[in-house]
Amino acid sequence: MSANGAATVEAVKDAIYRSCLLLDDEKWEEWLSLCDDGFQYSIKAFSPEINYDMIYFSADRNHLSTMTEQLPKHNTDHSPLKRHSVVYTVDVGEDGKTATAVTSLVVYQNMLDGINSHLDSGENHLFLVGRYVDKLKVDNGRATFLEREVRLETRRLDKGSHWPI
Amino acid sequence: MPARNRKQWMTDPQLPRGDWVDSRVYSDPEIYEEELEKIFKKVWIPLCHESELPEPYDFRTATIAHEPVIMTRGPDNAVRAFLNVCPHRGMMIERRPSGSFLEGQPSGNPKRMTCMFHAWQFDMKGNCVYISREKEGYQDRICKEGQGLRRLRCEVGMGGFVWVCLDDQPEHSLEEWAGKPFECIREAIDTEPLEVFHYHKAIIGTNYKLWHDTNSEFYHDYMHYHNRVTGFNDEYFARKNIAFDHGHVNVSSFEVKYEEYEGFESREELSFPKFPPNQWYMVDLFPGMNFNLRGSAFRCDIVTPLGPNEVMIEFRGLGVKSDTPEQRRTRIDHHNSIWGPFGRNLHEDLIGVAGQGTAMRPGTEPRRILHGRHEDNYIHDEVGMRHYYDEWGKWVNRLPSDPTQAYKSPAAAAAE
Repeated sequence: MSANGAATVEAVKDAIYRSCLLLDDEKWEEWLSLCDDGFQYSIKAFSPEINYDMIYFSADRNHLSTMTEQLPKHNTDHSPLKRHSVVYTVDVGEDGKTATAVTSLVVYQNMLDGINSHLDSGENHLFLVGRYVDKLKVDNGRATFLEREVRLETRRLDKGSHWPI
Repeated sequence: MPARNRKQWMTDPQLPRGDWVDSRVYSDPEIYEEELEKIFKKVWIPLCHESELPEPYDFRTATIAHEPVIMTRGPDNAVRAFLNVCPHRGMMIERRPSGSFLEGQPSGNPKRMTCMFHAWQFDMKGNCVYISREKEGYQDRICKEGQGLRRLRCEVGMGGFVWVCLDDQPEHSLEEWAGKPFECIREAIDTEPLEVFHYHKAIIGTNYKLWHDTNSEFYHDYMHYHNRVTGFNDEYFARKNIAFDHGHVNVSSFEVKYEEYEGFESREELSFPKFPPNQWYMVDLFPGMNFNLRGSAFRCDIVTPLGPNEVMIEFRGLGVKSDTPEQRRTRIDHHNSIWGPFGRNLHEDLIGVAGQGTAMRPGTEPRRILHGRHEDNYIHDEVGMRHYYDEWGKWVNRLPSDPTQAYKSPAAAAAE
């Protein structure tokens, strides 16, 4: 790999890990600032129950921005979601300006107000397991998300969530 | 009124007995087991949709009241249901959620249901067609002709759902049981074949009836910002809850203004066959199934009670099988925006019933849960729940407002 290629890989990894920290901290606008204006986001899962490749959620950047702005108007389980992610692969495009990355993802729920806070606040539950499949562009050493597909294995999602994963 | 002391708190409400229930109906382990025996093993339960087993030899597995069930599509295209239990040693025959018997399994042959344990095999009609070393072990004392699976009553209907009844002689046919409440959406869901595009499940620490209660009353729309801004208008408040025989209810429609929620658009471009756009009907079936048609997307909730304080809810979303890819994508987006696991409303509903489950765990003192809103059956009237619990009382022979007493009609209870 060329020195430029290695730098691109590092820029992609840096963007993915930063996105995890910002999502963990519910800094939605700062997360979206890592994304291109044409950013497309989706949460998908294959269901062996119905034998169908499902879309659980999809939105563009504007929709995500509007949706997160309206969160205070909704009743929500405020138990923080914390991501553990490992970037498995980064494939840099031939032009050196785009890349596709696959990241292993585990999301834990740090219980706060979801069920009975007296008993379970502070406890961690496994919330979901999956992968991020990201497409990014790299410009001047900075990687920007063009597309994120959250590919879930988990289909028992209990109360679900109002938040992007 | 100021906060109440215990005596005041425990005093019966100044309402007729049919207007509230005792919370032990949601938490008593003995009542829960009775419900499985007296209700869930007696009534028609939708277990899946026919599109989940579209080809001959496809199968789908599920559970009713502790009993494992398998549904198969035979080479004659008929869908049948059996207990998913081998008559030999009681092993569950098929462990997967779905699949095809066209492929052979390690212990058996293609086109057979095979118990992996000792390789007994069954055809799609439940006939036992092979017992390994039959003559050597059983001589003529047991033969495969007498070892068929336990067949279950099974019908496909109401939009293509597969309904199963554990009772060999149910009191009513499926049509008699559920036909009338479905009339409001029958043309929309029966004109063309439907297809499931969404499935996820939730296991929630709450009683199954509390989920059905939520689906049966719209007063909780105060919890949903989305529904307040898209719905609260004169037309919304003119909707009526309509009660049917057997504890079922449906809710009449109105035009939802989706565009009133920032970021959403009107959904008038896509609907179901013969169904006006942006309309919204709901059918609540006793003892806990919900069918919800919001113009462009159709949702079904199926409950599987797991304990007095635990329920699995399976959520399905459906479109029309002939949808173009664009139409299907639109239906999926519309479904998910409100009802998906990351949508605006379902999360709130589930927080609500989880909170009820937490506050009414087995061992908590009996509480009076009010079902007493009377608004001439209009949308915030709680007639749906009152109607349900009167039916429930008959099935388990208990008085919902005091489940230690035998059932009495609301009129008889009020007269005492």
